[in-house]
Amino acid sequence: MRTGMRRLNGMRMPMGMRRPTKMRRLTGVRTVLGAAGLALMALGAVLLWGQATRWNVVIWLAGAIVVHDGLIAPLVLGAGLMLGGVRNRGLLRGALLSAACLTLIALPLLLRPLPTANSSVLPLNYPRGLLISLAVVAAVAGLVGVVRRGRARSNRRRPNAR
Amino acid sequence: MKPRLPAVRPPTFRGRLHDARTATSIGRWLGAAIAVCFGTGLVSHYLQHPPDRLVDVLPSRPLWGYRLTQGLHVATGIAAIPLLLAKLWTVYPRLFAWPPVRSVRHALERLSVAVLVAGALFELFTGLLNTVQWYPWPFSFVPVHFAVAWLLVGALLLHIAVKYPEIRAHWSRESSGTLTLPATDGPDRRSLLTGVAAAVGAVTLTTVGQSLTPLKAFDLLAPRHPDHGPQSLPVNRTAAAAGVAQVSAAAYRLTVSGPNPYTLTLEELAALAQHESVLPIACVEGWSKSAHWTGVRMTDLLRRAGAPPDARVRVTSLERYGAYRVMEMGREYAHDPLTLLALKLNGQPLTPDHGYPARIIAPNRPGVLQTKWVTRLEVL
Repeated sequence: MRTGMRRLNGMRMPMGMRRPTKMRRLTGVRTVLGAAGLALMALGAVLLWGQATRWNVVIWLAGAIVVHDGLIAPLVLGAGLMLGGVRNRGLLRGALLSAACLTLIALPLLLRPLPTANSSVLPLNYPRGLLISLAVVAAVAGLVGVVRRGRARSNRRRPNAR
Repeated sequence: MKPRLPAVRPPTFRGRLHDARTATSIGRWLGAAIAVCFGTGLVSHYLQHPPDRLVDVLPSRPLWGYRLTQGLHVATGIAAIPLLLAKLWTVYPRLFAWPPVRSVRHALERLSVAVLVAGALFELFTGLLNTVQWYPWPFSFVPVHFAVAWLLVGALLLHIAVKYPEIRAHWSRESSGTLTLPATDGPDRRSLLTGVAAAVGAVTLTTVGQSLTPLKAFDLLAPRHPDHGPQSLPVNRTAAAAGVAQVSAAAYRLTVSGPNPYTLTLEELAALAQHESVLPIACVEGWSKSAHWTGVRMTDLLRRAGAPPDARVRVTSLERYGAYRVMEMGREYAHDPLTLLALKLNGQPLTPDHGYPARIIAPNRPGVLQTKWVTRLEVL
């Protein structure tokens, strides 16, 4: 990643290659956009400050970063490490990504304390729904894998065919 | 030789695709999703809490307007979950940039990115939990979700302004910056983007049926299902929750105040000209379903009270508690021929949970303003 980072820092290069007038206009647009962003952030901060529970909100905002950067991201990176060099890595990655996101959106349904306000809130059998969804993801991924392998094999048999 | 302490070093990332082209490809979809969420969120906010200037301007058409905007708000928010996680994964190594702070400008830039990341995670998390009516935090959801939305959109605009040169240099496959990246990453990147798209499709397909009813067969992981609820229509507030006991038909009275005030029994109300409207109930939590409503037109009730054609109306419910016990309607809603004081749902008398004996149903309005157990109308 080190080299990648250096490359990223080099991305400012194309700016310098543009004509000065165009660059000045571009800088103007960027300044306006940035200023608008700062103004909206200030408005958000003012709205937040009007809340009696503002410090709780700040703690939850910071907590969101801590949970993601300290827990979710390392877990995902760890899963990625284990996937390195596996055959059909891209397909497996897509399947795991779908399965993980389905599980993530199912967690509130599965973990919410009961009872709900009425029987039309969370009316479904969610463990069943999640299992079906995960099974469909696995089945689709398996099917795509088999089709790909079949195609690769037939291509190998006819090396000149495109 | 002097023993040396090991130097503190940030982790290094040798994995691929933590690059600006991947960040741009995912980021523009995430940016679009946040823009849709923000716009539809504002629509919902101002429909539900209109400032006085807006009350008479809010349109009652298109009748499916709120159903569309709020359905999009929740569906786009759910679709943004895989996008946000993929985007953060792509730029994760930048968290460990060394040295952590190079200048004041760099520090401010990192601070704005922290606000952006925190805001995005916070909005998606609190929004998702709101759809299941779960509030494990010590603050009030609506004003805080609203305030952080401004913080998030502001931080996003600032981020786009700061990163504009990099975004531009990686916008397409042929852009100058993309061409400096290893060409061998191309197929892997497209494979990753396909995987992210598959995840977006999976979470959308399993939840969108709660508002897009033709897809209700795929509704496996949404907090609501169009077919579940009394009279096959979901409910947010039951009669019991609102403190409304079974209303007796004989004791019920509808009081209408205005230039010519009057009172009607349920029998008299049912004897007035009945009209049918096909209108959706669309909830702020994202679910919606269309239904056939039968009842008396609001315009007929207002005309009988001698109301001028631009009058607003205040509606009072029998419910004993709740922030929406008293509801006001601007003139566009009050005088729309589709707006009913409904007595029947899909041909059957309303059940107590749907507002027996009479409820409001108006086009293009949040469900919470479709007042149930109506007992009083006031011409304003």
